[in-house]
Amino acid sequence: MRIPRRYWRNLDWPLILAVLALIAIGLVVIYSASHSQLVAVGLSPFYYVQRQLFALGLGLILAIVIVAIDYRAWKRWTNLLYLANLLLLGGVLVIGKTVFGSQRWVRLGPLSIQPSELAKIALVLVLAKFLEKKENAQSLKGTGQAFLLTLIPMGLILLQPDLGTAAIFVGLFFTMWFVAEANPKHLLITGLTMVIGALGAITLSIKGWVKIIKPYQLTRLLVFLDPYADRNGAGWNIIQSMIAIGSGGFLGKGILNGTQSSLHFLPANHTDFVFSVVAEEFGFLGSLVVLALYAFVIWRGLRIAALSKDFYGTLLATGATSIFFFHLIINVGMTLGIMPVTGLPLPFITAGGSTMLTSLVAVAIVLNVGLRRMKIMF
Amino acid sequence: MKKVTDTLVHRRILGLLLIVLVITLFSSGRLAYLQLWKNDFFQTKALEQRVQKIPVEGLRGNIYDRNGIPLAISVSAHTVYAIPAEVDDPEGTARKLASILQMDYDFILQRLQKRTATQWIKKKISDQEAHEIIALNSPGIGVVPTSTRVYPYGSVVPQVLGFVGIDNQGLEGLELYYDQFLRGTPGQTVFERDAHGRVIEDGVRGYQPGQRGGDLVLTIDYFIQRMAEEEVRRACYETGSRLGLIVVTDPKTGEILATAIHPSFDVEDFSSYAPENRKNIAVTDTYEPGSTFKAVTAAIALNEGVATLRSGFFDPGYIRVSGWNVRCWNRGGHGSQSFVETMQNSCNPYYAKLAIDLGDQRYYNGLTSFNLGYKLGVDFPGEMGGTLRSPGPAIPLVTWANIGFGQGLTVTPLQLIAAFGAIANEGILSVPHYVKELVTEEGSFPPDIPEQRQVIGKEAADTTRYVLRSAIEHGSGKRAEVPGYSVAGKTGTAQLVEGGRYSHSKMVTSFAGFAPSDDPQMAGLLVLWEPQGAFYGGIIASPVFARLAAKILPYLGVERKGKVESGLRQVVVPDVGGLGIGEATRVLQGVQFRVEVVGEGSRIIGQVPAPLAEVDEGTMVYIYTDVDFIPTTSDLPNPYGA
Repeated sequence: MRIPRRYWRNLDWPLILAVLALIAIGLVVIYSASHSQLVAVGLSPFYYVQRQLFALGLGLILAIVIVAIDYRAWKRWTNLLYLANLLLLGGVLVIGKTVFGSQRWVRLGPLSIQPSELAKIALVLVLAKFLEKKENAQSLKGTGQAFLLTLIPMGLILLQPDLGTAAIFVGLFFTMWFVAEANPKHLLITGLTMVIGALGAITLSIKGWVKIIKPYQLTRLLVFLDPYADRNGAGWNIIQSMIAIGSGGFLGKGILNGTQSSLHFLPANHTDFVFSVVAEEFGFLGSLVVLALYAFVIWRGLRIAALSKDFYGTLLATGATSIFFFHLIINVGMTLGIMPVTGLPLPFITAGGSTMLTSLVAVAIVLNVGLRRMKIMF
Repeated sequence: MKKVTDTLVHRRILGLLLIVLVITLFSSGRLAYLQLWKNDFFQTKALEQRVQKIPVEGLRGNIYDRNGIPLAISVSAHTVYAIPAEVDDPEGTARKLASILQMDYDFILQRLQKRTATQWIKKKISDQEAHEIIALNSPGIGVVPTSTRVYPYGSVVPQVLGFVGIDNQGLEGLELYYDQFLRGTPGQTVFERDAHGRVIEDGVRGYQPGQRGGDLVLTIDYFIQRMAEEEVRRACYETGSRLGLIVVTDPKTGEILATAIHPSFDVEDFSSYAPENRKNIAVTDTYEPGSTFKAVTAAIALNEGVATLRSGFFDPGYIRVSGWNVRCWNRGGHGSQSFVETMQNSCNPYYAKLAIDLGDQRYYNGLTSFNLGYKLGVDFPGEMGGTLRSPGPAIPLVTWANIGFGQGLTVTPLQLIAAFGAIANEGILSVPHYVKELVTEEGSFPPDIPEQRQVIGKEAADTTRYVLRSAIEHGSGKRAEVPGYSVAGKTGTAQLVEGGRYSHSKMVTSFAGFAPSDDPQMAGLLVLWEPQGAFYGGIIASPVFARLAAKILPYLGVERKGKVESGLRQVVVPDVGGLGIGEATRVLQGVQFRVEVVGEGSRIIGQVPAPLAEVDEGTMVYIYTDVDFIPTTSDLPNPYGA
């Protein structure tokens, strides 16, 4: 497979650099957050860094392969990928590994993978293919079908249960439907219905009339409103995260010096609450840099969506970019105490193979669309 | 930029970008709020949850008698604590601790397994135990310095000293009243810990020792206290009294030299005694003073000019007051008496008459100027006032008539002795108090007690003093006489009030007086509750006072006057200070004294009667020795090495 020279020029290098910067920051923070715990249990302090680098290598190879294949060729494989993913999601419920009360992982040889991560990519592909015909997005029947395509994997993910990822599915659906020129009235009505439905489910669960949402989920959903109501339980994570962030101050406590992180007050400090470590050790300035890098990545992604030579490409780029966006707001919002506690990773930074692979694949999709736009800009 | 043909799609993508921007800005704002605005708050929070402080108490100040003899001192001890999260082998650790500390294994294990940051295991352990525990070097187990109260001379004035609790906090008595002063400023040891409570090896560490509290020098005189304790004990045994009290003061200053209560209690084992038996009844209880109160009525009447030394009274055995017959204890009456004779005879009707002649308001004002029935402001917790109702139409004259001879009101023993002190001291009332000096590193300060004040004129006081002297010389208190000294005083006997009525069998017998009458150096009050058999103060209380004064006056260095009627040879007491116990005993026995050694030390710190005093041959001489001290400083290093 030969990539023409102009493709190299057309690659969105600023986007690539921003992503690499985020990954580099991630490696530093993962080391800082995990080394003492690793040494304490007799592992190498670089254990998570090494795993992350391995995932990065794998992800880069995967990304190069994805970039090389014209995205328009993917349409043929979309349905197969979607169905395979449904099978995996079903499989994880049967044979999956339970971690922290959820079945999210399946073992594949030496790797544990999280099918719900792959499911996001599959959903972006299938929705892009379906909504490419704008009449699908504008008709009631088409919208219903698109919604159903979202709902099936989402339902399986909810069964794991993984509320965070399910929320991202809703986000993906709305974003892509929105860009596919959905009728504003339809958008509004559907949006309102979902909000009312979600609030209704929560209310009914609080009252104990129905058991849609499990009690622990309910606690995690609501505890951010008043973390001190359960300060040693579900509120602990939020309180410790806010202490970590708040005590970081303007310039932070310096690398490896985050007391909240190194003294284990902050739970899941190299995974879900990695942003708190960033904020504690690099301060307000460091956090702003990270937020700005994400905003930059998202801007570049949406720009590519706008520049795409076909609508399918626009939808692909929009969907892939919004994966970052929704992860970002749900994860960072959680650490800042303005969002419920969900186990969502922060793309590129959180230690974790599946999230690293998915994120790089999503970047590759965006780059692919950008690579094959109609004209050279410069 | 490329021209976008599909403008609606473009607009919507632009809309998405706007949303992203708004949310990013909002998150930045939240970050700014947490990291910049609330930075101090969260810094403190972060510090608070990782820095563990264990308070180190300051050594509690000592309490000395007026001669500097230590009555209650603090010696260093140690407290064992555990950081449960650090204890890796709770069972093994609990077993070792249980064997060193002689404690229950399950109790310790339970404490080691608690999910708290720190947990006390045992307080006030000995140096030896502390050494053994430090030698264990057991993870999560530490020792911090504390202190414990020690009473070098045993349980001296326990009701006055009071005692401290497990945390060296004053619980009763002077320990409670002066708690803030005695209590040191706590220091602390600080260390950093992680979320699981484990101490960070290279974390923040600090040790700030506690500061020692101030010392109290009491007005109590250890030797006089011992004499009073001995006499009150003897009096209770001889009369079968349920309860006895002796208070000795210096009438010129109000300093309380002794407060002896029998039965007493062991201050080192205070919890084995009922609170009732640990009270300082001189301050916290009231009683009906009976005839001793006539001295006060006489003083007020003389001061107001209602009576003079030339006044006379015919006692038919009663006096009629507003339709009531107020009877004399002598049913037949005392007949015609001079003013002085009414005191000698303890004639009730005359003192009823004096009260009525004064009138309720004037009499009441006189009583309250002495603080009778009202709190004096003694430096002791839980001081009682007494019962003296202010005059008014609701209170019949006969009530005041009864008060005239000491019935129908209650006062604290200290109020009465303060009144006698004022009579002895030219009408100047000094509020009795227990503390002479508060000593700190900056210097010493007098206690905060009300100032002396003139409550009656000097002339009235001196006349009353003369009358009280004659009551001993010629009257009911004759047995209070001490050869070579002139005692002034008054006996009293009152029926105990039980369930609102006067008991027919239970009495309160007392003697209040001072000596020498021409220049009083001591005032004393003896009260015996429920003596068996003979109960008249003149018979049972007076001799106790005589014996007490006979010991105290020579001790105070008061010279004897006039011829001594004992008929015994007078011998000068040799000075045995600085001699060994055996040698001192031989010297004293060589000149025909009996000797009793008080205390178990090897050094003589005092002798009674005082050296060079002239006393009867064969008198008991008390030799007081020091005590072997427990070292007040520990050789244990600060366990944190800071």
